[in-house]
Amino acid sequence: MDVELTEILEAICQHAPFNDIAEEAQLSEMTKEIEIQYVRAGEWVISPGTLNNTLFFIRSGAIEALSKNDKLIRRMNEGELFGYASLLRGGKSSQSMRAIEDSLLYRIPARWFLKLYEENDTFSDFFELAREVRLRLAMDSQSSDVSLMTCPVISLLRRQPVSAKADSDILTAAQIMTEKRVSSLLITEQDELIGIVTDRDLRTRALAKGLALDTPISEIMTPDPIVMDSRDYASEAVLKMMERNVHHLPVIKDNRPIGVVSTGDIVQKESHGSVYLISDIFKQSSIEGLQAISRKMTHTFTQLVVADANTQMIGNAMSHIGTAFVKRLLQLAEDQFGKPPVPYCFVALGSQAREEQIIKTDQDNALILSDKYDESLHGEYFEQLSEWVCQNLDKCGYDLCSGDIMASNPRWRQPISVWKQYFTDWIREPKAEALLRLSIFFDLRGIYGDKTLATKLNRHIRAEAKAHSGFLTFMARNANQRKPPLGFFRQFVLDGEGKQSRTFNLKERGIAPIIDIVRVHALAIGSDKLNTLERLEDIEAEGLLPDGRAKDLALALEMIGMVRIRHQKDQIDAGETPNNHVNPANLSSFEKRHLRDAFDIVARQQEFIKFRYAGKRS
Amino acid sequence: MANIEFNKNVSFQDWQANFEQWAEEAPEGALKRYYQAGMIHATTPLKDAPLLALDLETTGLDPKIDEIISLGLIPMTHNAIRCQGARYWMAKPKHDLHAESVTIHEITHAELAQAPRLDSILDEILDTLIQQVVVVHCVSIERQFLLEASLKRYGYPLYFPVLDTMDIERQVQHKPWWKRFGKPPSLRLDACRQRYHLPRYKAHHALTDALSSAELLQAQIAYHMDVNADISDYWL
Repeated sequence: MDVELTEILEAICQHAPFNDIAEEAQLSEMTKEIEIQYVRAGEWVISPGTLNNTLFFIRSGAIEALSKNDKLIRRMNEGELFGYASLLRGGKSSQSMRAIEDSLLYRIPARWFLKLYEENDTFSDFFELAREVRLRLAMDSQSSDVSLMTCPVISLLRRQPVSAKADSDILTAAQIMTEKRVSSLLITEQDELIGIVTDRDLRTRALAKGLALDTPISEIMTPDPIVMDSRDYASEAVLKMMERNVHHLPVIKDNRPIGVVSTGDIVQKESHGSVYLISDIFKQSSIEGLQAISRKMTHTFTQLVVADANTQMIGNAMSHIGTAFVKRLLQLAEDQFGKPPVPYCFVALGSQAREEQIIKTDQDNALILSDKYDESLHGEYFEQLSEWVCQNLDKCGYDLCSGDIMASNPRWRQPISVWKQYFTDWIREPKAEALLRLSIFFDLRGIYGDKTLATKLNRHIRAEAKAHSGFLTFMARNANQRKPPLGFFRQFVLDGEGKQSRTFNLKERGIAPIIDIVRVHALAIGSDKLNTLERLEDIEAEGLLPDGRAKDLALALEMIGMVRIRHQKDQIDAGETPNNHVNPANLSSFEKRHLRDAFDIVARQQEFIKFRYAGKRS
Repeated sequence: MANIEFNKNVSFQDWQANFEQWAEEAPEGALKRYYQAGMIHATTPLKDAPLLALDLETTGLDPKIDEIISLGLIPMTHNAIRCQGARYWMAKPKHDLHAESVTIHEITHAELAQAPRLDSILDEILDTLIQQVVVVHCVSIERQFLLEASLKRYGYPLYFPVLDTMDIERQVQHKPWWKRFGKPPSLRLDACRQRYHLPRYKAHHALTDALSSAELLQAQIAYHMDVNADISDYWL
């Protein structure tokens, strides 16, 4: 009689990677060769230095893995597997395994493990030792094909371009647009694009001004419009629209326009309104109006998450929206307090500067003044302006910075020469504790006013940092302050010494460490980029890291960022205030496994910078 | 934890000597072969003893009237249960099943109607028992039902040495009367398993229950028994 050990088969089939193996008959065969072993809490399963020839499945209980020098590596519970690493290395085990609870283990013969590993891609992917590969596959499998992220802008084009010659008059242009039912018209000369005219241009630049109908269209067109390349992704079109506050983008292929994407096309595709949100911001002339928009931001955020946008895109969108608020408030402030007496630049710091802002964020900003600034003459103006902007940003949902890193603080509202001195002092005589607080100043982006002031200051920072390796040592040490967790165990977060806790801060212990690591490298190579992914591209191009390591960090950041964004979306859906505190009980086993891989990458790269920027021991 | 001092004086048997005697007396056939194959020596250490976990499902509790309808076996040692050697039989009873026992076993009339009679598979079962120490939870049921079956089939009784997980648990849990209070600990298979943090299974399938007792014995060995001690310290 055919004997089926259903208890065992069912237990195994509930867990990855076995639940992905389609052929149950094969698993049933494997089940027959399983041996079962009971291990008491505290006893060794694989004692240090012994050979292993078995894949272990934990049916019940818990096992911990220890390194050669007895350091805790991970804890595993029901449904998890161990022993495979040594099987792939021919039996030598670098980790020892000990039961920390009474455990019932299924011993699967090495032969079966190797057979499935050979024959079944899903199975081998699961055990793929290069964790980075696993992460990459996980990220790939998550992005859906229909999202803006993966669809080329060309796929949004729905008709041939409608164009007119530059010498056409505005009447003809309006007639063409009416006849073809388009809201924008491309202006060409010898088939090359030289400008664009929109419905709105006809209204504001022609009709409202009372221009004659035979005025050449070239007089009211926007010359040299911002364009997209046909190979660009739709997501890039969205970002460009937000960044430049435009609603029509001609798409160019081989120097010829092949169509126009409009906000309407994007909205149809994704139905999120981040593009409209930005133009709405610029239409507001009251704080109440801006506040009303700020209340829509959570909605915009959740829509982006639902639309499968990645963290880079969401960070970008949120930062552009944040920047739009700042710009509009400064415009309104200048209306109220008058034009600035000397040039100034309002700078964003930290996440907004890196264009990695998220939904709930404090404001971090500062003001760089021209050296023409004279406190007795201009002090009051800038004090009023900054105070007004910061207070109103707070009203719009960007809470006042608890560390008082804001333009309203006189210490952070200084002429450029003072700013340069600040940085020189910080870089030449670094003090660890102070730098920990000040690291966000090294992510600094001019967003309003005379942006050359910010550019000059950034140039100064790069030159100083590159020339002072002692400073990098401090930054590297700081980047090692916040360690990622070791992983998860049941509903707990597991730390290095076996400490277990209920929740952990995904930003503090996952995202911030990556940003810190990347900032150190970026300063070391003098990169002028601020965005973490862009910095990583520079770092990779420079060859500073071993092959592939820059990409690992980018993947880890995306993985952790994705979990954070989904966590925050869930909180918003549940009517809670989004935060960074994640409870492992709410994570899927998929997320836990990949977060663990991501943490592992972070921990290794933290080690790397410790040695890379070791400097002199003090 | 110190090993429990088991009651060695209780029903000590020299199974090896007994088997030689029964081999003489048993009628020709499977039962004689079983006894002729002999039994391990009483001084064999527990860790070297070939063990076979066994469970029966029956139509009722009276071995004189009720019948075996299924039997599950799974071989093991003190630290490994081998799924490879697992066996399972169903046997068609001579009398109809009570409706209530159907609900207990989840074996239906239709399934049993297809099954062979116990008489025709008893030879095969005996072959698998050769030289094995049988592991059961509650020795009296298995022993008496198989004894009856053997008497009916061969006209001669079947005896076999047993490690009884229920009896082991009783001794482990035993406390002198002055330390007892409240209800005595349950000796049901599921309750015993929970004491060792073993997972919960759906009961009343002969093979699953055999597996349950096998795992329980491993846990009891890990906690209370000496794998170097003679098998005769433990067998009944």
